[in-house]
Amino acid sequence: MVANNSGFAPLTVTNITVAYQKKPVVRNVSFEATEGELIGIIGPNGAGKSTLIKAILGLQPSLSGETLVYGQPYKLQRKLVGYVPQRESVDWDFPTNALDVVMMGRYGRLGLFRRPGAKEKAIGMECLEKVGMADFASRQISQLSGGQQQRVFLARALAQDATLYFMDEPFAGVDAATEKAIIQLLNELKRQGKTVLVVHHDLATVEQYFDSVMLLNGELIAYGPTASTFTEENLQKAYGGRLTFIQSRGSVDEPALIAGRG
Amino acid sequence: MLNLFTDPNLQWILLGSILLGISTGVIGTFAYLRKQSLIGDTLAHAALPGICIAFMLTEVKSVGLFMIGAIVAGMIATVGISWITRFSRIKQDAAMGIVLSVFFGLGIVLLTQIQHSSYGNQSGLDKFLFGQAASMTSKDVYTMTSVAIVLIVVCALLFKEFKLISFDPGYARGLGFSVATLEQLLLWLVTIAVVVGIQAVGVVLVAALLITPAVSARYWTDRLGVMTVLSGLFGALSGAIGTWVSAGTAQLPTGPLSVLTATAVFVGSVLFGPRRGVIAKLLRRSSAKREWAAENAKQAGARVNASAKERGVSA
Amino acid sequence: MKRRLPSSIKRFIMTLLFLVVPVTAVVSGCGAGSGAFKDEGKLHITTTIGMISDVAKEVGGDRVEVIGLMGPGVDPHLYKASQGDIAKLEDAKIILYGGLHLEGKMTEIFEKMGKKKPVVPVTKNILESSLRETGDGTHDPHVWFNVRLWMSATETIRDTLIENDPAHEAGYRERAEAYLAKLEELDRYAREQIALIPEQGRVMVTAHDAFGYFGDAYDIQVVGLQGISTAAEYGSKDVTALRDMLVERKIKAVFVESSVPKKSIEAVIEGAKKLGHEVKIGGELFSDAMGQDGTPEGTYIGMVRHNVDTIVKALS
Repeated sequence: MVANNSGFAPLTVTNITVAYQKKPVVRNVSFEATEGELIGIIGPNGAGKSTLIKAILGLQPSLSGETLVYGQPYKLQRKLVGYVPQRESVDWDFPTNALDVVMMGRYGRLGLFRRPGAKEKAIGMECLEKVGMADFASRQISQLSGGQQQRVFLARALAQDATLYFMDEPFAGVDAATEKAIIQLLNELKRQGKTVLVVHHDLATVEQYFDSVMLLNGELIAYGPTASTFTEENLQKAYGGRLTFIQSRGSVDEPALIAGRG
Repeated sequence: MLNLFTDPNLQWILLGSILLGISTGVIGTFAYLRKQSLIGDTLAHAALPGICIAFMLTEVKSVGLFMIGAIVAGMIATVGISWITRFSRIKQDAAMGIVLSVFFGLGIVLLTQIQHSSYGNQSGLDKFLFGQAASMTSKDVYTMTSVAIVLIVVCALLFKEFKLISFDPGYARGLGFSVATLEQLLLWLVTIAVVVGIQAVGVVLVAALLITPAVSARYWTDRLGVMTVLSGLFGALSGAIGTWVSAGTAQLPTGPLSVLTATAVFVGSVLFGPRRGVIAKLLRRSSAKREWAAENAKQAGARVNASAKERGVSA
Repeated sequence: MKRRLPSSIKRFIMTLLFLVVPVTAVVSGCGAGSGAFKDEGKLHITTTIGMISDVAKEVGGDRVEVIGLMGPGVDPHLYKASQGDIAKLEDAKIILYGGLHLEGKMTEIFEKMGKKKPVVPVTKNILESSLRETGDGTHDPHVWFNVRLWMSATETIRDTLIENDPAHEAGYRERAEAYLAKLEELDRYAREQIALIPEQGRVMVTAHDAFGYFGDAYDIQVVGLQGISTAAEYGSKDVTALRDMLVERKIKAVFVESSVPKKSIEAVIEGAKKLGHEVKIGGELFSDAMGQDGTPEGTYIGMVRHNVDTIVKALS
């Protein structure tokens, strides 16, 4: 594992543009992530948040753009990067159990031909523990609830032992207990000095969860520390006036999507 | 029926059918999980132009040559399917349909050309497509053995890679695996199994050998490793029973009987599979109902007792 | 960013495509039909198998131009007519075919053509008593292996030509006379030669049951692996049964055919070898088709001679 004593940022993205059939979905997005932060990526539906992540990770072809991880091209640094995709991307009827899925996170380090052994199993169980799913290790994945599946995916990413994580809507459709478990885990990662970028959909929790925030709507609207970036002005720009701000007890101007498609 | 093991022809047919069943069963598992079940049918049809071209180039009617032609055509077909799905909006099933029709159409044109010209000795080209398990010889057994060994070894070596790209190819790419290469390799292994299978059961039925044992195996286990082994076993069993039945009666072609046996195994699996089978589900439902009824009765009884206690009376 | 075509132009192109395809199909269907035959002055005859073409040429001589649809090595049981074949059939004045379901997949076409011109099965005048029955009520169509029966076919062809071209009757009769004499001699030759094989070993084993008439006419037992038509399929029991018979009766040779794949016979031979009895391939026989044009086996007489000689040599 390459340690970051070189002073490079964990992630530097320059001018990424992605187009579906000639229609640009992500336009010239550039930013640099600060190490050890939880970064939220927010924007309305169709803003290109998932697409951006996939393009960064090379899972989606892009028209232009460069990704550097700790100063090196992404392709050379794969071992440092972990990815938790959206849950629907997988057929959960596949014949495998939770532990098996988590061990897949170690496949990158095993390389071609080698079989996962006792060491990988131990790491897998450890990661399942961290997400509170140790009892479900041999459970067939089709028998897991949505929140449990999400936690298995998370454990799999943990098993990769990466320093930079991307997560695509990890809080979508999970119950409150799971949500709490996930954010605890993310904070643990932060304490270990890792950097996590999270595509997030719930505006209400942004201030609470994230150190920095990126507002995206095709283009980069704003990027920076939450306090100064997560403002009403920027949000209006990102959501195109589909937001209504409501007063709430305590904090001022908590934004919420009241009307319209968001 | 004991002569199944001593009669030389029957021995070859039995061994050949078993080895073929193992090959198609094992590789069919991955095709099924990747939702490419009909790839067997596509590849079998795509083989026709390969066979014709092999014949036209060499003017020799040799099974080995036909197989090479068929494999090459099959490999080109799989590359074609991958390209179409990757670079256009067309989905897997339509891509397979397109490749199947184009290749098979080309094959029929070539076949008719051959028929109408004076190549001499051109019969047997379409016989190759109908398959004849009954005329297996020791040479065929060697071929089937090598194919089975290659398939099993590759699947064992690359088991975790195949599992990964079948379950979550996007994640696999993220980990740095060359998913495109692995997928292509898998398809080529399917091609080899299909071409060898065509000789035994013919173009139309070889798809069944790929799909049915794998689907049957799914009903008995939730673990991929077990499923793969079981699928190979079911394939072998179908081949063995097919041979056995056709050895007893005249004019019963061996290949189709193997397919029928595989189907019977499938029906049995659907009915009797331990967790997913129909009977298991019915039993679970009825026992759940009984438990629920008992639970209700208990609660009702408890309520009666409680209210009786309140009134200071015995129930 | 490239501009997309306006929808009106797209519609025009689509309509054009939808029209082009059916128009091409119709035009190609009509257009074909001229130019299959070369010589306009002669009587145009289209036949199916080579044996019929050969006789038609012999009897018709200079007066006819004959095109055969099925060349050497072609299996008539499975043969499907192509667009070019239809043209050749359309263009002919007379169509001659085998009948008795030999050309199994062409019955409809013959029916259609029959409405416009004489479509004659050359076997039509053969007495039913001379025909072999197959199990399911139809007859074995491979009559040409009994030369006498093929003499009847020759006469039928001669009569058909006379009927449709009475002006040249004399020529047809003369040539038919000469050819029938040759066939007579061929018939005698076959009988004599086969009789040279010792009775016990007088068994010919082939891939499919085409030689029934041969066996009946020239007193040799015939055993086939497949049934009458190559469209039938065999199973492992058939293979083992045939092999066991070879071993039991110590038959020296089996024969392959030009129009049937060797694989089935090879399996039988290898099995016999495993059981300790060596059987060799006695040679290739012509069954449903003749040899290459220009070779002696490319004529009916040459083909029958070849078969007889091959069989006699292998089994003596």
